Amino acid sequence: MKLKLHTNAGIILFIACCLLPILHSSCKEEVVDFDANNCKRNPPFIQTMGFDAKSSFFSTSDIKTMGLLLLQSEQPGNPNARITKSFQHPSWKKGGWLAPILIDDAGNIFTSPAPFINILDNPIANNNTIYRVDAGTGEMQEFLRLPFEDSINSQNPYGIIGMVYLCETGTLYVSSVAGSRLHEENGHIYAIDVKSKKIIDQINHIDAMGMGISYAAGKRQLFFGTGRNSDVQSVTLNAAGKYSGKPEVVFTLQNLGSRGDDKVRRIRSGPSGNLAVSGIEFNFNLVAPREKQETVYEFVYDEESQKWVFQKPR
Amino acid sequence: MRIFVLLFISSAGFLFSCNNKTESSGSVNKYNDDVLKSVIANTDSLKTFDFVNARVEAIKNALQQPTPVLLCGDSLNSNQKLAQQIAVRDSTFTRSIRDIGSNTPFRTEIFGVYPARESDLSNLKEKINLSDCYRVEMYNYPLNLTTVALVDIKRQKIIATFTQQQTQPEIPLHLKNLAIKIAINSPEVQEAYGIKPSEKDALMASTKTSLNRTRCERSHHLCVAPTFVKDGKALWAIVDLTEHKLVGVRWTNVGTTGPAAPMITERRLQDDKVTACFCEKETPLEKDGWKMNYMLTSSDGLRIAQVSFNGKPILQSAKLVDWHVSYSGTDGFGYSDAVGCPYFSQAAVIAFEPPKIMMIKDEGGNFTGFALEQAFRSEQWPTPCNYNYRQRFEFYKDGRFRVSAASIGRGCGNDGTYRPVFRIAFAAEQNNFAEWSGTNWNNWPLEKWQSQNAATVYAESKYQYQLSDNTGNGFFMQPGNGKFGDGGRGDNAFVYVTQTKPTVDEGEAELVTIGPCCNTDYHQGPEKFIEPSPDNIQNKKLVVWYVAQLKNDDTKGREYCWAESVLENGVYVTKAYPCFAGPMFVPINLKK
Repeated sequence: MKLKLHTNAGIILFIACCLLPILHSSCKEEVVDFDANNCKRNPPFIQTMGFDAKSSFFSTSDIKTMGLLLLQSEQPGNPNARITKSFQHPSWKKGGWLAPILIDDAGNIFTSPAPFINILDNPIANNNTIYRVDAGTGEMQEFLRLPFEDSINSQNPYGIIGMVYLCETGTLYVSSVAGSRLHEENGHIYAIDVKSKKIIDQINHIDAMGMGISYAAGKRQLFFGTGRNSDVQSVTLNAAGKYSGKPEVVFTLQNLGSRGDDKVRRIRSGPSGNLAVSGIEFNFNLVAPREKQETVYEFVYDEESQKWVFQKPR
Repeated sequence: MRIFVLLFISSAGFLFSCNNKTESSGSVNKYNDDVLKSVIANTDSLKTFDFVNARVEAIKNALQQPTPVLLCGDSLNSNQKLAQQIAVRDSTFTRSIRDIGSNTPFRTEIFGVYPARESDLSNLKEKINLSDCYRVEMYNYPLNLTTVALVDIKRQKIIATFTQQQTQPEIPLHLKNLAIKIAINSPEVQEAYGIKPSEKDALMASTKTSLNRTRCERSHHLCVAPTFVKDGKALWAIVDLTEHKLVGVRWTNVGTTGPAAPMITERRLQDDKVTACFCEKETPLEKDGWKMNYMLTSSDGLRIAQVSFNGKPILQSAKLVDWHVSYSGTDGFGYSDAVGCPYFSQAAVIAFEPPKIMMIKDEGGNFTGFALEQAFRSEQWPTPCNYNYRQRFEFYKDGRFRVSAASIGRGCGNDGTYRPVFRIAFAAEQNNFAEWSGTNWNNWPLEKWQSQNAATVYAESKYQYQLSDNTGNGFFMQPGNGKFGDGGRGDNAFVYVTQTKPTVDEGEAELVTIGPCCNTDYHQGPEKFIEPSPDNIQNKKLVVWYVAQLKNDDTKGREYCWAESVLENGVYVTKAYPCFAGPMFVPINLKK
């Protein structure tokens, strides 16, 4: 009787740990090959509008022009270079002042509202809206309205503040802090299947800001910092683009750089999987971005210690 | 040239904290005691200590020298002294010790001379004898710049020089000692610690006292934090070694394991304190017959409420809704700035410091009332496109009160117009509003706006409006017209009067940005509560909206709504030229 119980338990454990994971996730974690996760394609409408794709870029940071802008520069990459051509589709202002720009593998552009200095053109009720600029026509339309927290309040003027795209699965990860308050962390990181416009997974009660995806350490990982502190967390993504396990703190910007309490604005994964983490001061207010100095901190994954190691501020 | 230092008020009784004498009300505060009991030192009255005088003299003396570098204050051996001499004679090493344009010396100081390390020489191609080499570190205070020279004393020359921006070298021993001395002699530290810590205690390892590096992100000064451990907690005393003063104090828990505790910095100390004590709860204030509550808002500045005088309700509330800033050089260019709390707010310009309460003196030196004042600042002020606003309520013993505000520049150009939007809600249930026609007070029957201009006539050369109840009691309203003695040149104000509606909130609660930056006419926001169908305002509870229009000026000798940095004693200091605006309310019965 006793032996039989043990045997059964062992079989159940074996099934639970090692067979089910083949269908879902694992007791033995999935090991993935490195992937640069760089699949963005130039939107075809750029060329039909007479812009040179190689020297053109999109911007939402012009302080005099609200919305999305297509700019052609004499020297792409140099922010001080002369702009030779600019274009704004009439629909590109409909979201007010915008922040993230994300281009998918079809050339569609995803963006969302973010207030600039004040909320005159950015009503709080619109803060959780994702807009999509069609790769072919260049027209911007509402793509998806994310669920809104019940506790929307006038203290927090922000909603969506981060976006990143997983090429493998066509999943858009969107962080929103809508509804968060000083003492209540009510934000979410949504995983959205772009084709079906469906939220396929979400992490709750987290005010994620800048995000990035890297395939370091044999894992497909979403890295993110929050608006609450200087820590960088990661959560593993499975082959379907869903979250596998809970986020964990992997390193911090605390006490680094000239300010020592930077929050993560953006995370970029380098060709070898290194992470370039852009840090700024952020306190959920509307202090003008130009007052904020940005520092890029580089981290590399040390296989031996299995830890992310700070390299140097750039 | 007249520089308004904002201190025409005599003495100051500063409210630093939630640990002041007044009681707090409102909801439960979620900050811990360490934040609530932290202290932001009084930055308006520079504490001077006798023991600092010698150093200040040495700094001033060094600035007069042909090579205006303060030499290392620590004891050096002969080789170190030689290395220092070689370095300061070298034009490459000293190329950043003066302002390029004016040749005015910067305050620079040799912080240390150390035997060179192997790693210092790793990039050099020529073969160097390590024992002959010294590393000389110089700090430039105004530029927050470290310059390092590698000196070969045998060959009497510099073999390498490099600079590090926004970096401070290792603090020399004499400055560490000075920081500890400033800390233990500061009343704020003594009060927080319970007793005056001794220098001996501070330097003993057994007390676990250490000199933590910290940051003064806002002042960009050289700061350190002597930290005193007591009962398992650490008291951080942030000391500014540029101005030789205490910035503030705060307790933290001392952890034995886990990640490093966040560094206590100037910004963190200030923002946490302001938020916990003034953004999350109201503070009651009772003085000179006046009684009120005040608190910082998300985007409406400092708000006063339930204001009464000698027991009679006067104001339901008063606040500063917006600052509209437009620049005439570029059509439609400007900003609509809200002022308010540092965390979780719609403020573009935030409060760094707690509100201050100051006594007001008349020309004869008599105390006539008090002022409640709040500063809001951009971090990089006074560099271009950064702002500094001052909000100020004045209350007098005779029942007069003034609601005012100032811009202190600097903004994005010298063609700016600032339009502060005040909302002043009166408490009386049945008021009438009248304008002076030149001969009579004519009541406004309906909600309305009007502008102050050159043709405006004033009763007794001062009063443009009157707000009174049906017994004739109330206030004359005196707009800013250059007669308040605060440097104001006239408000050229739009005045709007609306009815307080019992069922509709028209701005009593937190008001989001009410209008755009750049309208030059009466479309500043309050008109949306009037148009298209103005309501009756006779014998009603009323709100007065007041939008001043202040044109900035950077002309030498006529600066207005302006600020600039100048080098004084080798460091940058700010000269401020505020433009105060806002109406005074004078009790009608004061004239009877």
